[in-house]
Parts: sequence; C-alpha cells; structure tokens
Amino acid sequence: MENLEKNIEENTEELIRQYISKDILYTDGKYPYADDASLLDQGIIDSMNVLQLILFIEKQFGISVPDQDVVPDHFDSVSRMAAYARSKSPRL
Amino acid sequence: MNTADYLLIAKAETASKPVLINGDQAYSYEALQHAAAMLLHGLQHAGVQPSDRIGILGANSLFWVASYLAILKLGAVAVPLATVASPEDWRRNQTFVQCRAICVEQKLKGKLQHMVLSDVALLDESSLTQTSSKVWPEPDPTFDLDRDAAIMFTSGTTARPRAVRVTHRNLQANTESIIADLGLTSDERMLVVLPFYYCFGLSLLHTHLRMGGSLALCNSFAFPETALDMIERLSCTGFAGVPSTFQTLLRNSSFARRNFKTLRKIQQAGGKLPVALVDELIAATPGAVVHIMYGQTEATARLSSLLPEWLNTKRGSIGKGIPGVQLRVMNEAGDDVQPGETGEIIARGASISPGYWNDAEATVQKFIGGALHTGDLATVDADGFIIIVDRKTDFIKSFGHRVSSQQIEACVLELVDVVSAAAIGVPDDARGEAIILFITLRTGGAMQLLTDQIAAHCAQRLPRHMLPRNVILLDALPLNPNGKVIKAELKKQCVALLAA
Repeated sequence: MENLEKNIEENTEELIRQYISKDILYTDGKYPYADDASLLDQGIIDSMNVLQLILFIEKQFGISVPDQDVVPDHFDSVSRMAAYARSKSPRL
Repeated sequence: MNTADYLLIAKAETASKPVLINGDQAYSYEALQHAAAMLLHGLQHAGVQPSDRIGILGANSLFWVASYLAILKLGAVAVPLATVASPEDWRRNQTFVQCRAICVEQKLKGKLQHMVLSDVALLDESSLTQTSSKVWPEPDPTFDLDRDAAIMFTSGTTARPRAVRVTHRNLQANTESIIADLGLTSDERMLVVLPFYYCFGLSLLHTHLRMGGSLALCNSFAFPETALDMIERLSCTGFAGVPSTFQTLLRNSSFARRNFKTLRKIQQAGGKLPVALVDELIAATPGAVVHIMYGQTEATARLSSLLPEWLNTKRGSIGKGIPGVQLRVMNEAGDDVQPGETGEIIARGASISPGYWNDAEATVQKFIGGALHTGDLATVDADGFIIIVDRKTDFIKSFGHRVSSQQIEACVLELVDVVSAAAIGVPDDARGEAIILFITLRTGGAMQLLTDQIAAHCAQRLPRHMLPRNVILLDALPLNPNGKVIKAELKKQCVALLAA
C-alpha cells in the first residue's frame, strides 16, 4: 500500500499525461506537449474537457474540487494540475 | 450603405471609447477602424476582388473584427470558420466556398497552412503592424444591399453543416430588430463568451458596434470562474449564452452565489433552456432581466424573443417574432395551427437568408416562396405565444406516440445534480423506438446520484411511453462548436453498440 502511494505521488504528472493523451486527445502515443504548456492555448482542451479533467482528478486522487478552484491557475497545464492535486490530496 | 460603414456609424461620436476589451488591452472605435483599414489594404494587396469569399479563422479579437469589417467593406464575402473544428473541416469548408484568401490568427496558421491550396492567400496579425497609415474609404451610398455579406456555416446538429448566405440587407435588418427588441443602448458592455463564427456570437458584435457599446472578449468558457471574474472586474452589463453555458454556470460554478452589481441584461438563445434552469437563472440574477430568445443561422440570427414582462406567465415559450420578423406556426395543410395543435414554425422578414451556398436542393426544401421553414415543431397558446415542442428530426416514436425529446430532458434537469441531458430514440421491436437518455452530472459530492434514481424520477413525472429504457452516464455529451448536443453522434454510437 505504501509503495502504491509512493508510486502515485511520483507518477502524478504521468497519470495526468496519460489521461489527456488517451481520453482527450484519443492517441495511444505519449503526451506530445511540455508539462507547463497551456492546455487552452495549445487547443488541447475545450470547456467540456475541463469538466472531464476535474472528474478525473477527483476520482484519481480522491479529492473534491470546489467550483472556485476551477481556474486556469490550477488546471491549465499538466504541472499545474499535479501541483493542485498534491496540495489537496492527503494521499500525496 | 455597406454593412461595415453601417456598423462603424457610432464611431463619429465614440471615436475614443473602448469597443473591444481583450485581456489587458482596450481598443477604441478609432483603433478598430484603423486596424480594419490596414487589413483592407492587405486584402487588396493580395488581389482580393469584390464577391471573393474570404475565410476568417481565429479567436474573437481585434484581428478577427478588423478582418470581418475589411472583408465587408471590400464587397467581398466573409466566411467565419470555427476554430475548434478539425483542420480537415477547415479544408472541406473553405474548399466548398472556394476561399480566395483567409485571415488567420498566427497561432493557427501552422495547422491551416498545409490544408489550403497554394493560391489561397493567408493574412495574419502582421497585417495590423504596417507603419504607414491607411485610409478607410468613404461610404458608398449606391452599395447594393442584396449582395452577399457572409457565408455562415450552420452549427451542424445534423450530420453535415450547411453554408448559409447572408446578405448585407439581412445583417442590417436583423441588427435593427435585435436592438429594438432588447432596447440596447450605447452604455452596454457585453461579456462575449460565444465565438463570432457562430451567428448568435456575431449578432452580439453587430448590435453592440452599431449602438456604440463595447464588448469584453472572453475566449474560453472552459474556466467559467474566469468569465465571472471578468463580468465583475470590467463592470459588464450584459451576458449571452446557449443552454450549455447556463447549465455549466448554474450547476458547476459560483454564478448563483455571486452578486453582479452591473449585470442587467442576460440573453439566452441557441436551444431550449429547460424551465427548471430558467427558474434558477432568474433566481440567481435578481438585478438583471432575462431574455429568452430563438433563432436560426438561416434567419441571420434572431427570430423571436420572450419579453421579460411575459417571463412569469409565459415561461417555456419562445415568445413572438421580433420587430420585422413574422412567425407563423402552420400545420401540414398550410393553415395556422389552433392553440394546442402542433405545426412547423415558418418565418418571413428581411433577415431571412436567400438560401444555401451551392446547394439548390436544400435551398428549395428550406426556403419556400421566401419563407423559411425552420424544421422546429411548435404550438401556440391562446395569446399567440409560441412554444417549441421539438426539432422535427429529434422526435422519438415510442409505443405509437410521438415523444418530444426536449420534454424528457427538461424532466431530468429538474434534478439539480444533472448538468446536461440528451434523449434519443433507437430501433426497438416492442416499442418502435426505445428512449435512451444520456446525462452528465455535476462534479463534487453529487456523483452518488444513481441512474436508477433518475429513472425513478422520470417514472414519477412522465407517462410510460416517455420513460427511458436506459439511462447512461457520460463524462461529457458530444457538443458541436457552438455548444449544442450532436444527437446524430449519440445515435450512431448507440446503434453501433446495440449491433455489437
């Protein structure tokens, strides 16, 4: 169990990358952008995808995202999402 | 008068007033006309002739609006392209109308470049940075208003988008009608979250320019809190959205908990907002009046509106035709329906398009004797208010009944945890068509709402032939670029799934 948690912590970015690649970009390949690339500016996501991302983050990291936290500062790049998940999750 | 001059008419009195606010930048009417003059010069330099079709591809911006005005002023035809479409769609759409040039935002140029033929000129923001000042030509009083001004691609809830021709007369007539209907003044400041390539978004640009108002551009509604912050920070007086906009705001944002001091007009169009959500919208914005409206790209934009004073007694209705638009609901015999009887909404007026670009077959089906056959089925009440029942194509035939998909959706949207819903029919031996209901739920703690609770709610509220056979939870519904659910896509997936 401890190993699993450590694993998730180390792989927070990778889990987010994989999710975006598979469920938003519909590719089997690797996430083709930098971790700090803006998801909006790069046209990676639209408004529906943001909700999808929030659901993913909530389920994956066992956190609850209040409405006021749904801002670009927390969700507009892989690294921002990872940082947000870490700040909110007791598991990480 | 050319529509570009018609739209810039307020400039004489409001030259230094901000017309577009984009991020930290504010552009005055004078700056906008100057930018349009530079683009005009750029287009002429690229060899653009009157009547050429010119694409515009980019987010709402000074560049977008300047391109649009320059194209109109040249007597060429503006073809707004959806930014969120795939490069393949851009290729198909711009090839279909044979664009001579495309004004494209730098950011999207790379993606577009290899999708266009080499003789299509591409102009980007660098056209705005020429050092020499360019003169905006004097208005031509003899300009023919029946020339095409724009070709607008329909939002494509049907399988294939259509290209609607919109003339200068259409644009000006609809702009006048909307201004009169909404009572817009030069004090308006609209927060624009809808793209200008969509007729509803473009109508915001037309009406606010014409009145000398201003538009604050919020180019992504992905983060609703950002849009809400902008309303407060920029003291916006107006906000406009489609049903999915308000569903997100009311069920997935802090909208209802905020107190917008300056917001006084809310425009809703682009599909039916279920009554339960209209109630919530009104309750959430006590300082603003809510305008529920209806329109189609084939009618430039707006066809009807429910005036706020009728909102309490006629809620659920799309109101009546706006000034200059005659709406009738006619049965198959061609007679006006009696109250309670269902027929098709037929529209006439100066804002009705002359037809589709290069599609004579679709044009004769939709535009009959100058009247637009909307494909929307509706009834009227004793006072002549129109109530839409459904799209002709969205009706479900269940147990021999014609069931309105919108009525089922409105029923489940009474549950506050449901964000959006779409009901479709799929072939079923016993029922004729079985109703499949797709829903998305709000984020946060509400995920416990189970599909059987939803089914139970329907069972309490709806007759048996309207009950969904299956309720399917999705993370997101497939939406077209304008935020409308693509039911054809849901149907296709469902039928494929059942066949497997």
